[in-house]
Amino acid sequence: MRYLDLDIKTINEKLKNKEIKPIDLVNEAFDRIEETNLNCFITLNKEDAIKKAKELEDKEVDNILFGLPIAIKDNIVTKDLRTTAASHILEDFIPIYDATVITKIKEKNMIIIGKTNMDEFAMGSTGETSYFGNTLNPIDNTLVPGGSSSGSAACVATGITPFSLGTDTGGSIRQPSSFCGLVGLKPTYGRVSRYGVIAFASSLDQVGPITRNVYENALLLNVISGQDKNDLTSSNKEVKDYTSLIGKDITNLKIAVPNYYMSEVIDKTVREKIINIINLLKEKGCQVDYVDIDYLEYAIPLYQVIALGEASSNLARYDGIRYGLKVDDFKNVDELYKNTRNIGFGNEVKRRIMIGSYILSGENANVYYYKALKLRKEMTDSFVSVLSKYDLIIGPTNTDVAYKLGTKQDDALKSFYDDLLTIPVNMAGLPALSLPVGYKNNLPVGMHIIGNYFEEDKIYQLASYIENNLKEEK
Amino acid sequence: MKPTIGIEVHVELKTMAKAFSLSKNNFNDEVNTNINVLDLGYPGTLPRLNKGIIDFALKACLAFNCKINRLMHFDRKNYFYPDLPKGYQITQQDTPIGYDGYVEISNKKIYLERMHIEEDTCKSIHTTDTLLNFNRAGVPLIEIVTKPCINNGKEAMEYLEKLRETLLYLGISDVKIEEGSMRCDVNVSVSDSDKLGTKCEVKNIGSISSVGLAIDYEIKRQEELIKKGEKIVEQTRRFDDKTKTTILMRYKETGNDYRYFPEPDIPFVYIDDEWLKEISDNMPILTDELKNKYVELGINNNNIKTIISNKNICNFLESVIDKCNPVIASNLLTGDVLSYLNKNIIKIEDTKLSQDNFIKLVNKLDKKSISSKQGKEIISIILENDKDVDLIIKENNMEQISDDNFVIEIVNKVVSANPDSIKDFKEGKDRAVKYLMGQIMKESKGKINPSLANQTLIEVLKKS
Repeated sequence: MRYLDLDIKTINEKLKNKEIKPIDLVNEAFDRIEETNLNCFITLNKEDAIKKAKELEDKEVDNILFGLPIAIKDNIVTKDLRTTAASHILEDFIPIYDATVITKIKEKNMIIIGKTNMDEFAMGSTGETSYFGNTLNPIDNTLVPGGSSSGSAACVATGITPFSLGTDTGGSIRQPSSFCGLVGLKPTYGRVSRYGVIAFASSLDQVGPITRNVYENALLLNVISGQDKNDLTSSNKEVKDYTSLIGKDITNLKIAVPNYYMSEVIDKTVREKIINIINLLKEKGCQVDYVDIDYLEYAIPLYQVIALGEASSNLARYDGIRYGLKVDDFKNVDELYKNTRNIGFGNEVKRRIMIGSYILSGENANVYYYKALKLRKEMTDSFVSVLSKYDLIIGPTNTDVAYKLGTKQDDALKSFYDDLLTIPVNMAGLPALSLPVGYKNNLPVGMHIIGNYFEEDKIYQLASYIENNLKEEK
Repeated sequence: MKPTIGIEVHVELKTMAKAFSLSKNNFNDEVNTNINVLDLGYPGTLPRLNKGIIDFALKACLAFNCKINRLMHFDRKNYFYPDLPKGYQITQQDTPIGYDGYVEISNKKIYLERMHIEEDTCKSIHTTDTLLNFNRAGVPLIEIVTKPCINNGKEAMEYLEKLRETLLYLGISDVKIEEGSMRCDVNVSVSDSDKLGTKCEVKNIGSISSVGLAIDYEIKRQEELIKKGEKIVEQTRRFDDKTKTTILMRYKETGNDYRYFPEPDIPFVYIDDEWLKEISDNMPILTDELKNKYVELGINNNNIKTIISNKNICNFLESVIDKCNPVIASNLLTGDVLSYLNKNIIKIEDTKLSQDNFIKLVNKLDKKSISSKQGKEIISIILENDKDVDLIIKENNMEQISDDNFVIEIVNKVVSANPDSIKDFKEGKDRAVKYLMGQIMKESKGKINPSLANQTLIEVLKKS
């Protein structure tokens, strides 16, 4: 019997009636890590997880996530548990405080199994830029699992934990969820505190849940949401019960499909899968219209300017002075910086810091950065305008399904194209979810559901309907 | 040749907490005790925003007649230096909280280009190694930048004195140059044409008078170079206290590239009418207003200067000024009280002196119920002891007798006992009155009101 394969409600029942104990789930998770060899984790939290599970035996099962194992992306700081952001420069970094999301999941007595592998500083969409080696796709070990939340996706897909937390700056939750056949949500910017999340691009970063199904995704969002005094960009908007619309009738939902999301740049089979869904929804009686959203085609340059500009500043603190890697080989402070950062950062990170620094440099700031901010505003307005007439926007999450490891490493620009459809959502700060809706050559295809600000509940409502009504064999 | 000077002043704000973290804002505590993960630039940390720094900066904006950027944001100034924990400084580049202000000095207005909020860096301590004190990391600063409109060292000093005084009276900073809570950098250029000359910056000058000396030296140095036909090269210099000269530190690198961009971790701040009104309704009286008031009250100029430059004394005076004679009060405070404070190196709050007791004393002096000599004795007692003034007077028999009948009785008694003195008086000998007054004081055991006694004596003598 593998308890971790059961749905959360059933596991919760069994914990309540003492049929199983949290330690059984923890042991099972670590057994599975032994059985599989996907390089999902950078650091395991075995000793502490077992201790925590034993402590919970005396406690009342007071919430549905009580005692459940969870994996945390390694760019979310955990007190006393090594946090590396998959970088050599933080290889030995042990934080002295918990991120707000960690405090929240600890309050619910969830058990952290370990810190998951990822692209270095979340920069990448394959998991391959990790200092600790790439993660394998559990469906086919020769494929990328997607990234940057590569380990968080692979670990849920392979059944090590039912839950994981990822972060999404340009698609880093949704793309690996799509490649691994999972449900992954990027919440509204400001819904979840960023305090304790190692910053990549501050105006785009957001933490979100990766799970096996829609309901469990909403359960985890319920726990991690809310305003945080430590994050001025977190919203004071009331936290809803995000499961509350699941199972509610969807007939009256008005749905928009951006023409760009169904254009030639998207793989044909992927488009067919989305058209299947559109037909399913139309049959149900939903209004589904094709719409235009302005400036979507500028997503990648926009991302390169804004995300990399911010990143070049956010990563300046890794200088060898206060924490993290510090080389012994230096004659003066400039050499200390250069040598530490040269050895400490991988190529992709260095490349992005250089591009970001260039973009903000002197007159370039006006030519690129401030212009990009204007374009971002325009694109956002266009989304807002569509969402004033429609409840949700749908389309594919990615241009295609998972591809072979190593294919995009030579071309620095290519990997950005994975995020063609996900980046605009981060730019607008909207919530969006990736939902598996079929297969292409046995590989999962993800559908993108984009909602209005703070309307994650409506996204789950539609996602759950599709999840329950789509029957497709591999 | 025309010199042009601009001044940049950094002022530490004395809010309870630091600008963007909850750490205590006190550099002087034990090294590296007022710090947290944010001050250290730990991964994952995010800035908070202490509203107090905006309140303080708004006070300064109003005091210096600045326009206010109602919708303002913070920017990141990116550069690498060991004393900069995050690799960037949170400052205001595009939207300084204040702009286009001025400070009035005796003969002109010194125009302010801008005033903005920013955070301080760590303090580097250079021993065999370089050590860092993070108590200062994140301490709130305002930077006040003048337009290039100052023409000599004297104007600069007057401007800085006025700035310091005003900031002190606003209660937003200690403004101690020697302790670094106020730091001055000056830009000096000299030109023999209509165009501005090449400027040289003199950094971190240790006192206001040194600023004057540094500027005048720089003007002279540059004028001589120009006369010799040499070119001024843009550079950073420092002032040497011993030689009273400026010394080259480094040539300016061309194009410092700070890669400014809006700080994405702090939302834009809107200063609405209500907020601004709350600040302007609670502005303290500033020095110009105080000076005018004291002149009207008849306090002499020397006393006014002394009072204004001792803010604690001034506060004390303000707390009693409506309840007693301001001239007598100011004389006591700038005289006996201040010399006592200076002698013991303490502040007026550290003494036992209460407002009530001080008012009583001034009123006794005002009514001439005690002599000024007795006043001095009493003030020295009540600085160290909170004993009631009435009680001191009573216990020491200090009450002067101004009762007419008693005075006449004593005067008559003394005069009739000294017929020779009446003769001397009639003959116009001054010593007679002095001698008789001595006898009167002796007879009354020093308690008689001397001026009343003197007046009465002369009347009696004239009638004799």
